Amino acid sequence: MISGTAAVDELAAGAPEIAAFGTESVRLGGVTGLSLVAELRRPAREAVLPPGLHPIVPPAMSLLAWDVSESPWGAFSAAFVRVVCRSGARARTFCVGAAASTDDAVAGLRSQFGFPAQRTHVALRRHYDGVDLTVAPAGESDNGASVGHGAGPMLELSALDPDPLSVGDLQHVGSMNLAHTPLGLRLVQVETHHEPSRVERLAARIDAFDAAAWGQPLLDPYWVVSCSVSLEDVEIPAIRFVCDPALPAAEGTERVQ
Amino acid sequence: MMKFGIFYELSVPRPFSRANEWLTYHNALEQCRVADELGFDHVWTVEHHFLEEYSHCPAPEVFLTAVAAQTQRIRVGHGAVVCVPEMNNPIRVAERAAALDIISNGRLELGTARSSTWTELGGFCADPDDTKKTWDEFCRVIPQMWTDDDFGWEGARFEMPARNVIPKPFQEPHPPMWVTVTTPGTELDAAERGLGCLGVSAAPFAEQERRTKEYYRRVANCDPVGSFVNDQVHTLNFLYCHEDYRQAAALGLPMVGAFSMSNAHLYFTREAYPTRAYQTLGNAGAALRSRGTANGSTPADDPSVAKGLPEGVGIGDPDHLVRTIRKWEDVGVTGINFLLNAMEMIPQQQVLDSLRLFATEVIPQFQTADERAARVQAPTTVPEVSSPDGSAHSTMPAGASR
Repeated sequence: MISGTAAVDELAAGAPEIAAFGTESVRLGGVTGLSLVAELRRPAREAVLPPGLHPIVPPAMSLLAWDVSESPWGAFSAAFVRVVCRSGARARTFCVGAAASTDDAVAGLRSQFGFPAQRTHVALRRHYDGVDLTVAPAGESDNGASVGHGAGPMLELSALDPDPLSVGDLQHVGSMNLAHTPLGLRLVQVETHHEPSRVERLAARIDAFDAAAWGQPLLDPYWVVSCSVSLEDVEIPAIRFVCDPALPAAEGTERVQ
Repeated sequence: MMKFGIFYELSVPRPFSRANEWLTYHNALEQCRVADELGFDHVWTVEHHFLEEYSHCPAPEVFLTAVAAQTQRIRVGHGAVVCVPEMNNPIRVAERAAALDIISNGRLELGTARSSTWTELGGFCADPDDTKKTWDEFCRVIPQMWTDDDFGWEGARFEMPARNVIPKPFQEPHPPMWVTVTTPGTELDAAERGLGCLGVSAAPFAEQERRTKEYYRRVANCDPVGSFVNDQVHTLNFLYCHEDYRQAAALGLPMVGAFSMSNAHLYFTREAYPTRAYQTLGNAGAALRSRGTANGSTPADDPSVAKGLPEGVGIGDPDHLVRTIRKWEDVGVTGINFLLNAMEMIPQQQVLDSLRLFATEVIPQFQTADERAARVQAPTTVPEVSSPDGSAHSTMPAGASR
């Protein structure tokens, strides 16, 4: 069994801070969600994960994007770049980078759930025959969170030819977010619950991906596996488990509520 | 009568080396020879591709040919051929299987499957949406290729002009056919086609009983794809048998845990590719469900809790294993295939000792006196076969015509 080899100290630089674990879930209403899986090249397999997580074969990236109509943080758009992994025997993703279009969303995602969100321009546009997603730097944010590097887009993708699926055909995998918590530096397990009313699968193409801007230059999503779009409500429950990033889940898991 | 088999994924420990690959294959071959001598009924070998650590067995027909050549009576289970055209053309499956049946003197069992991982399907650029359809078509054409001298086909996913697919298998009318059952519901697909149910994922007794009962109900009225109905239900288990239960657990349970963990680390199709064709996470999902059902209290999202270790695992002393197998027998299972090792965690000598103890103390508990006597018979050989010039030379086993 292989484990991540990334230096936890280096991953911790810039990790969000969760001052106190919340007890309330956050509900996102009227969400257009995009989910894309792409295979990564081999050098990224172990090198991007902390020792407490295990890569899969082949290494893969899971991109999630939301356009949210209603939330405690107002309307916003967000995108999450995640590496598919295992925590113990569980299917998970490790969130390498995140972007959100408003300061309130950035603050909420960082402080409540440990997503390494930065303020950016995020545009998820759904058309009758497809979807476009653009993530681009948006300048300095109010809370001081760092912003994408360079002048080009951090991400551009387009997807065409929606093919309807049943709502149960789409599986979502939880996210492990590295954050400074009251228990110390921990992988925070975020399990989103999705209530889709419509799911479509599309053929997608990644037109631009600035790995460094997402905080992990080794990411190279060279082979798109699948792309889907859903109309859904999303609940982000309060955090229940955290894991020591340096230990296997069987040894390093703590229940926080 | 309960059948006992051994089952190989050929899992290889890291760090990978040529020596480790060699050792895994050759240890398995030695186990097959010993199992043959001890009276085990089957040796099954999977087909998997790219599944590092979990299974280094992409060419089971080669491994099984070696098994056939080195054994006398144990049946060789090609379990299972992946029925996806990007991996296997059905003509080649029929040809290879027939040749293996001839080489083994009519000891072949042919399993069929469609693969559950993106690692494999994606590696061959196969469309996950199509695998159920191609599996269905393979199951229908292969037995016809074996029995029809002038076979042609125009189907949804496969077509060929009429040819005589040769050689024909040694067994008449053809070898028994099976379906590997990973996800719940596939046993019904097996039943409707008159195919044997080759379980490859763990299920608790109650769940297995429910599935088995429904399988038997449906298979009784099936429309068989082959020339006969194979209505056997086999399940997969682990085996480590030792006189001392504690020693059995000390060596056997880590093996089970390591195997289950390596299985959970596969990249299942459903996780990578949303599709109607894959509704569950394969073996890992089944193991998770069984755990949750067994104790009812395991949080589904607790990452510190390992999946798997369902009830009825074949780890323990002989008395425990007899009791455990009785329960499997009671729920309608007609055969159990055992994984003997994982990542070579158990030293080879202890694997062989476990096999011998099981064969001595456990298997006889499930046999009548006549069956015990039959198992120790030497392989049967019969009439001489004449060559075209009329000279008599080789002998043909009695099982040639069923």
